[in-house]
Amino acid sequence: MFTPVFIGQQLLNGLSFGATLFLLASGLTLVFGLMRIVNMAHGAFYMLGGYLGIVVSALSGNLLVGLIAAIAVVGVLAFFVEFVLLRFVRGQELPEVLLTIGVSFVVADICLWIFGGDPQQLPADVRPQGAFTIGDFTYPWYGVFVIGVALLVGIALAVVQSKTRVGAIVRAGVDDREMISAMGVNIRWVFTGMFIVGAALAAIAGTIGAGRTPILQGVQNEVLLYALVVIIIGGLGSIAGAAVGSIAIGLIDVFAKTWIPEFAYFTVFLPMALVLVIRPQGLFGKAA
Amino acid sequence: MSNPATRATPVVRPATGLIPSRVPGSSGGGFFRSRVVQIVGLGLVLILGLALPYLGTNSFTLSLSSTILIAAILASSVNFLVGEGGMASLGHGAIAGAAAYGAGFASKQGWDVGMQVLLALGITLVVSFVYGILSMRTSGIYFLMVTLAVGMLIFGLASKYSTVTNGDTGIANIARPEFLGEYWQYYYFVFGMFVIATAILWVVTRSPFGASLRGIRDSESRMRSLGYSVSWYKVGAFMISGFIAGLAGLLAVWHTHFVSPTSAGVERSIFAIVMVILGGVGTLLGPLIGAAIVVLIENVLSSYVDRWQLVLGLVFILVILFLRAGVAGSIAKLVRRIRGRTTRPPGGSAPPPGAEPAPIRNHTARKETA
Repeated sequence: MFTPVFIGQQLLNGLSFGATLFLLASGLTLVFGLMRIVNMAHGAFYMLGGYLGIVVSALSGNLLVGLIAAIAVVGVLAFFVEFVLLRFVRGQELPEVLLTIGVSFVVADICLWIFGGDPQQLPADVRPQGAFTIGDFTYPWYGVFVIGVALLVGIALAVVQSKTRVGAIVRAGVDDREMISAMGVNIRWVFTGMFIVGAALAAIAGTIGAGRTPILQGVQNEVLLYALVVIIIGGLGSIAGAAVGSIAIGLIDVFAKTWIPEFAYFTVFLPMALVLVIRPQGLFGKAA
Repeated sequence: MSNPATRATPVVRPATGLIPSRVPGSSGGGFFRSRVVQIVGLGLVLILGLALPYLGTNSFTLSLSSTILIAAILASSVNFLVGEGGMASLGHGAIAGAAAYGAGFASKQGWDVGMQVLLALGITLVVSFVYGILSMRTSGIYFLMVTLAVGMLIFGLASKYSTVTNGDTGIANIARPEFLGEYWQYYYFVFGMFVIATAILWVVTRSPFGASLRGIRDSESRMRSLGYSVSWYKVGAFMISGFIAGLAGLLAVWHTHFVSPTSAGVERSIFAIVMVILGGVGTLLGPLIGAAIVVLIENVLSSYVDRWQLVLGLVFILVILFLRAGVAGSIAKLVRRIRGRTTRPPGGSAPPPGAEPAPIRNHTARKETA
């Protein structure tokens, strides 16, 4: 139970779970940072992305095709939700949150309709196979692949946010949206774009995550809650916070499930409750 | 639901955007008549509730009615917190679940019904206090998150701490008091509890405490500068609301004789808030209407249509988009508008000031919370 090999494997398990969480939570936190919307449909986007990724990559035999299909469909859905539905309730916290809850109901039930209730997983032949071995230590390549994808996405997000014009507009929008609109930027399109990017990240997380844990009904609430925990610990709106929070929660969750299974959920939500009480803006968040 | 306290001061729109501004119709007699409409509505519910077992209903419909009433009690507790305090909770299902587990644990130990009640309500008070303490410094979205998190803690314990809770299997065969054995007896009991819970919340709403709570809802900083201990008012409100939610949990476990982690899950909390919005935030009978809609969709429509969750979701989205005041609130608005038309000379068909809800688009709303 406490051999170095086992602990090493659990460490990698925690990191690869954290990587999935980061893909999911970064979208949620970006959308919140700019638009002040807690998108409760984010878990449903993850689920839909996961199902689409599984089905399309099984048909085409190529993970990348499945990934693109998932991003495309979820992106179009997100465009509809933002452009048609959320416009009606712009600027009102509670109706916005509740509206996305309604969207989550509808998307989850449509998924049940189309894809059925059985758990589904990414087919084995489309994902990186095998395992690497160092002495006694073996670990499947897929876990490493997940960590790699999350690293790539994280670096890309950070570069876009800090080095490009689009990133500058987004950062300005986070700080003062009246000012950036007064300077001639159509903030509405920035909002729509950001919502689509956030949903696309959820779709990526769903497809990649479907190789680790199966997609089934109910997963949308579970992953949403994990993502909420991550972004609250890390600080709403902060990519760095999402990264730190994901790794922490990924590791805590994996180790707690092995050693103190009776308190598995407790160990994840207790840190969140503590952060909210002691530092409500989160570790990397700006004071509200 | 008109109140002298809110009438005296100009109503500041809360940032949550769902709470109707409750300025009573100020044109002559409108205030009195809206009270009459309300009393007639209450009387109808009371008579219908008492007469239901004699209207040729069978055990299924009565049992369904009990389910609706229990859901309505839970929704009332959420409604009180959202409507008066402006605090939208996503954790009330877990409070009800905790109470149910209290009763379940007592029953598992072979203790009698009195201990079930004691343990259920005791746990409810402790849990509500923890919720209140953890959430007293937050508002808006953050309040939502804290309640969600604490709710998940309870769900996690229920699901994983299996030496006490039996884990995902749940606790079965939880008996209710013998004098409530028959389904119609239990229906009357639940109905009585619904009336009592509604009355308690109504009294609290009309009390100075309720007025202070609305003051906090509308402007926390103003109340703080007036010398109110805002945090402890919030804790108090949460305790009252949590107590009612715990009552709903106890009634639910006596109704089904069974408790499992699902009873404490986040879906139940979401359903409770859906009921509140459907019925109309801050209205007296809104929770009952909302509970009836949701429970009927879940239990009756589901036997005809497979996609009942889809229907529920669509109904919910449509209500948020087009019927912001909920069913009860919209009826009240309609009544006022019709009366505004008849009491005015023809041509001047504008409704009396205050009868319309505050403008829906409020771009500055969020600045108040920032």
